[in-house]
Amino acid sequence: MDLVQKRIAGTIVLSPSGRIDHATAEEFKASLAPHVARCAAGQDRLVLDFTAIEYISSAGLRVLMLAAKQAKAQGGALAVAALQPIVREIFEISRFTLVMKVFTTLDEALAG
Amino acid sequence: MAWRSPSDGAPLSDAERPHWSERRWLRALRGARGRPLGFVLLALLLLLLLVPEGWLSLLGPLRLATFDAYQYQAPRARRSAPALIVAIDDASLRHHGQWPWPRTWLAALVARVAEGQPAAIALDIVMPEPDRLSPGRLADLITGLAPDASAGLRRLPSNDAVLAHAIRSHRVIVPMAGLDGESQGAVAGRRAPVRVFGTDPLPFLRRFDGALRNLDEIDAAGGGHGLLSVDIERGVVRRAPLMAAIGPSLVPALAIEMLRVAAGVPAFAVRAGPGGVESVGIGDLLVPTEADGSVWIHYSPHDPSRFVSAADVLAGRVPLQQFERKLVLVGVTAVGLSDHQATPVADRMPGVEIHAQLLEDIFDGSLLARPRWVGRTEAALLAAGGLLLILAVPRFSARRSAGLLVALIVALIALGSLLYSKAGILFDWSAPALSVAILYTAMLMVTLVEGESQRRALRLEIARQREAAARLAGELEAARRIQLGSLPRAAEAFPNEARFDLYAFLDPAREVGGDLYDFFLVDADHLFFLIGDVSGKGLPGSLFMTVSKALCKGAALRQGGRVAPVLVEANAELSRDNAEGLFVTVLAGTLNVSTGELEYCNAGHEPPHLLPRRERPLRSLDGGGPPLCALDDFEYAATSLRLAPGDTLCLVTDGVTEAMNDSGKLYGRTRLATVLSRLGDATSASQVGEALRSDVESFVAGAERADDMAILVLRWIGPSASGR
Repeated sequence: MDLVQKRIAGTIVLSPSGRIDHATAEEFKASLAPHVARCAAGQDRLVLDFTAIEYISSAGLRVLMLAAKQAKAQGGALAVAALQPIVREIFEISRFTLVMKVFTTLDEALAG
Repeated sequence: MAWRSPSDGAPLSDAERPHWSERRWLRALRGARGRPLGFVLLALLLLLLLVPEGWLSLLGPLRLATFDAYQYQAPRARRSAPALIVAIDDASLRHHGQWPWPRTWLAALVARVAEGQPAAIALDIVMPEPDRLSPGRLADLITGLAPDASAGLRRLPSNDAVLAHAIRSHRVIVPMAGLDGESQGAVAGRRAPVRVFGTDPLPFLRRFDGALRNLDEIDAAGGGHGLLSVDIERGVVRRAPLMAAIGPSLVPALAIEMLRVAAGVPAFAVRAGPGGVESVGIGDLLVPTEADGSVWIHYSPHDPSRFVSAADVLAGRVPLQQFERKLVLVGVTAVGLSDHQATPVADRMPGVEIHAQLLEDIFDGSLLARPRWVGRTEAALLAAGGLLLILAVPRFSARRSAGLLVALIVALIALGSLLYSKAGILFDWSAPALSVAILYTAMLMVTLVEGESQRRALRLEIARQREAAARLAGELEAARRIQLGSLPRAAEAFPNEARFDLYAFLDPAREVGGDLYDFFLVDADHLFFLIGDVSGKGLPGSLFMTVSKALCKGAALRQGGRVAPVLVEANAELSRDNAEGLFVTVLAGTLNVSTGELEYCNAGHEPPHLLPRRERPLRSLDGGGPPLCALDDFEYAATSLRLAPGDTLCLVTDGVTEAMNDSGKLYGRTRLATVLSRLGDATSASQVGEALRSDVESFVAGAERADDMAILVLRWIGPSASGR
């Protein structure tokens, strides 16, 4: 999975695209791993820009959950932003809004 | 030598010793689709082709047959007629009487021919003993002869003297025959001098132990002396030595001696190199030879125009100018005297005609030859063709490689025929052709055997995989029975229950899955129920599902059905030993079946639906927290609600909402809501459940299911049967 990466004002923004489901979850996890490893106290914040994510399954949520746990343990900050309606619905139903910070837009994420 | 291990140098035990080495050697030979074997075989065949002729005569007869076939198919066409044969034939014997004739008749014959002024005359008749018909010997032979008659006879010259005189007068060339294994006459005798150029040709030349010569009187009279012998290989005359060795002396063949005498050249010139004799020359004429000084005779068919009958010559019936400037051979051809040889072009050819043919070949320069480079070319072509086959046979189909073999053989035959017809060179196509055919057969066999063993290995592998798959399927089937068996069955769980009605359905996408549901009475009035979905499918999901279900049940029984503490406890327990990082969404609830009091708590699961009733529309029950295991210390809180008798709750997993049809469309929450909205009037839980299930199935329409699916429907009938 392609992770477009940019650094904006002390924040690493990763922009995955497509579907994160059973077939792509492991690849997404592998692409994410090095960034999550650096997401620690005193380091850059990590924001996942979900503008181009069409769907996320429970396998994808699991990857996010593990990433959030690791970031939390390291004292880092991990957030997702700009969820499409379907993905937002999945986050709300599964209450993943409680597992990690979710911002409506990328700008909010950068500000917050 | 003891085998030592490479790391520490300690001797290896018997078990460690590389007993595989010989097998590896064999495999290397057979491996790579038989190519190494092909190389070894090709080397052997090349060796066989290159051994000196006659040393290992495996290919010799085949080679001679090939050369004979060239001449038989396309014999030489006569261009000039330098030689003429005066034949003592059957007609001559009929007219003049039995052989041997008195030698005075031969003298008369020679004198008669000489009148025609030929270039040279040679006798193809060896006369080692005196003529018994000489007058002096007749005197001894005839009894009762008058003494004066006898004395008169004895005074006459002998027939041999008469012949010797004729021979001397006309410079007639007389023959000798080489003998093997005879001690007699191992003397040089009379012969023309030979000048040697290069190395000594003697060790290379065809060698005879001795010679059968004419009577000394006749031999001494000869104007030249030539060897009659030809080489007979397997019964056929193909070669004749142009120069041979008798004892330590070099002796020319009769034919080339005639040419020397005719040309008036005093001596022969023989050139030899380190590889053998190269040529025999007379004056300007240089005849290349094989290494042993012989030449391959290029035959034309038997031709009667080469012959004149001795009887006709003696009777003066032959115009004498016919002999002018010809090389005349006098020989015996009568059938009864059997001086006949087999040749490539004819089974019986008079010996004297073979000498005439040799003369024609030398005269026209049409001798056949097999220079040394021809053998090397044959070997090179075999090497090239063999390498081509070794590379191609394992790669090509059987049909294509057979075509390649045929093409190779046809090319060899064409090359051989071309060299024979255009250059008179004897190229042996048969040995390389046979060799490539043997090589091809071996390569094909190895390739076939290897293909067969690969097929067999493949069959075994397939059988093994099938067996493994069957075993796994059997184990998974057992796991499925255990998993599904661990779920309570709605129809049988509460046989005489009138206060509520349950429907439960679970269908894993694979044999086992990660969806779960459960329900049981915690006490007389409190029904605990839950539905859940592990973030994983198959075996890992099913194991986590089983653990989750057991933990929740234990917690529920301990907590008396208060759902928030159940989820807090289950969350803590599951999070503690969650190596895989899975999570599980759960909706748990407790219904007081006597009062309709409902308490539920949602851990990241699809919200439950309260079906429409009378004026109330379909309602989705919100509230709750994240999935179990997502946040270790989350304080789950319960939501309370009072149901009215006849209210129905419907709980599903995302296997329902995310069921996908063939065109990739999801079932979706909207369609779920639409279906449930229509079911407000349903009279039982199973009516609701079955309607939903069949709607999902008709939507999916046989597409392969990706996710597990569970449905739980709970209908509260009322505090008792009377409450309905």
